[in-house]
Amino acid sequence: MENVIKAKTPSFRARIQAVGGFLTNMVLPNIGAFIAWGLLTALFIPSGWFPNENLASIVDPAIKYLLPLLLASTGGRMVAGQRGAVMGTIGAIGLIVGSDIPMFLGAMIIGPLGGWLIKKFDKLIDGKIPAGFEMIVNNFSIGILGFFLMIFSFYFIGPVIEAANNVVSSAIKSLVDTGYLPLLSLINEPAKVLFLNNVIDQGIYYPLGMQETLEAGKSIYFTVASNPGPGLGLLLAFSFFGKKAAKRTAPGAIIIHFFGGIHELYFPYVLMKPLTILAMIAGGMSGITTFYLFDAGLVAGPSPGSIISYLALTPKGNFLGIISGVIVAAVVSFIVTAIILKFDKKTDEEDFTSSIEKSKAMKSEGKQILNPSNELSNTKISKISFACDAGAGSSALGATTFRKRLQKANIDGIEVKHYRIEDVPEDTDIIVVHKDLLERARLSHKNKRIITIENYIEDPNLLKLIDELGKR
Amino acid sequence: MLSEYLKGNINFLNRVSSWEESIRVASDPLLKKGNITPKYIQDMIDNVNKNGPYIVIVPGIAMPHARNEGGVIKTGISFLKLQNNVQFPEGKEVNIIIVLAAEDNSSHLGLLSDLSSILIDEDVVNKFRNSSNEEEIMNVIKMVE
Repeated sequence: MENVIKAKTPSFRARIQAVGGFLTNMVLPNIGAFIAWGLLTALFIPSGWFPNENLASIVDPAIKYLLPLLLASTGGRMVAGQRGAVMGTIGAIGLIVGSDIPMFLGAMIIGPLGGWLIKKFDKLIDGKIPAGFEMIVNNFSIGILGFFLMIFSFYFIGPVIEAANNVVSSAIKSLVDTGYLPLLSLINEPAKVLFLNNVIDQGIYYPLGMQETLEAGKSIYFTVASNPGPGLGLLLAFSFFGKKAAKRTAPGAIIIHFFGGIHELYFPYVLMKPLTILAMIAGGMSGITTFYLFDAGLVAGPSPGSIISYLALTPKGNFLGIISGVIVAAVVSFIVTAIILKFDKKTDEEDFTSSIEKSKAMKSEGKQILNPSNELSNTKISKISFACDAGAGSSALGATTFRKRLQKANIDGIEVKHYRIEDVPEDTDIIVVHKDLLERARLSHKNKRIITIENYIEDPNLLKLIDELGKR
Repeated sequence: MLSEYLKGNINFLNRVSSWEESIRVASDPLLKKGNITPKYIQDMIDNVNKNGPYIVIVPGIAMPHARNEGGVIKTGISFLKLQNNVQFPEGKEVNIIIVLAAEDNSSHLGLLSDLSSILIDEDVVNKFRNSSNEEEIMNVIKMVE
């Protein structure tokens, strides 16, 4: 009975996990570009630290073109390698030009879609290209398919996302009319992480705020979407409980977000763990409630929304309310994010270690090219263990085959054994498992190098391993 | 070693209705000879449901097996080739099913070593895949033994 239950949960969870992991992997490699853009914006826009009109002219093209194109390129590459990256990027330029707002969401859709298209096409014509024509077919297939994808995304995807944006705007307006301001967070927070923050702030809240300021000298509308508290709480939670790379980058993001007022810095963290949007909503709501209870407001739109512009724009007598609103929002979103991350911890580690695995493998490949003899001879590999559920069938077949291959390649001094996953001994240097069993292997062997295969006889990863061993 | 264990355990069939069925049919000779009990067949099916179709060891060839939890009386191996592919989970197409029943952790390793020698050599494995009767299979195995 127990087995049956176990059987069903992982496959469903694994699917959800796959989507989350996919988003993470699309965003994470590009965080550096977000930071570069954030620094530029915080420093040089008119309300920044050192306003500089010339340098500030980079800000707009960078958020409109650079960042979405990077996401699309990474998304395409994940699906279909370099060809996918090219296709995804071509597609993204169509929707970027086809709309007037930053197209992050669109790029994260069109990138993988482009990759998928070219992958399907390549599979279709696989083996059917006459010898000598590979180059021309490869280039023109991307060229022609990309041409259509560009037009499609220009006329279709871009406008669809822009229409969604309009829906968001009118939804906010009708919520404002109800008078229950904390409810605004329900729309604000998701809209923000889709990079609509400027649209909703400058398009809706600031005009409302200015009206109210004319009458009352201050307005709460300036704070409803620009409170730096929720983002601070989220990033703090990632700094403490996040997974490796997210954990390492979060503290830097805090500085640019909280003091620089560039909220865009925390959006990728929400996108890679979409459930944390709940934390942002909870944080936003409690912040608005606190401002409301203290009857606090700002005298102008805090742009960028940093703690410093908040304090600079707080009217006399409102400091307690404003500061409390920021702190309460940060604490609430910190707690909720922490719970989500804790709850998710196991999944995270698995996700992440596998991507670390990949980057490690890539690194060592790179090293191999640069330095074929030295680096790798240092890493000792003397025992390789094949593992499977029973530890007798497929793992044994894999191990015996691998031994034969080593022999053929004249590589000696390496012990190749087979085990049940849970019984793989500590002195193993590399564990080989079928990709379906990776989750389970990772659970029992957190710090081991794990190679996954789909074919026990001549999986490309095994052939690569032989290559690596042969070069030592 | 493989040839003597496989003798009389080789079947050819047009098609089966499901992958579960393919495991059952392929196991039949072992069941009849008393190598395994019906429980082992269920164990093999449960293994796929629980851990995924990792028993599809190379494209087209599945090697159903499971831990011996009382279902294996005596180490044995059997072979079934289908005219029409059967689909394992995750869309894996299979037309050769090699049922492995291992009594303990070592008695079957010779069998696997021979099987590995077949699969590792492209020419041999092609002959193996294209065999259409027991005699041809036996000849292929004898090439590597």
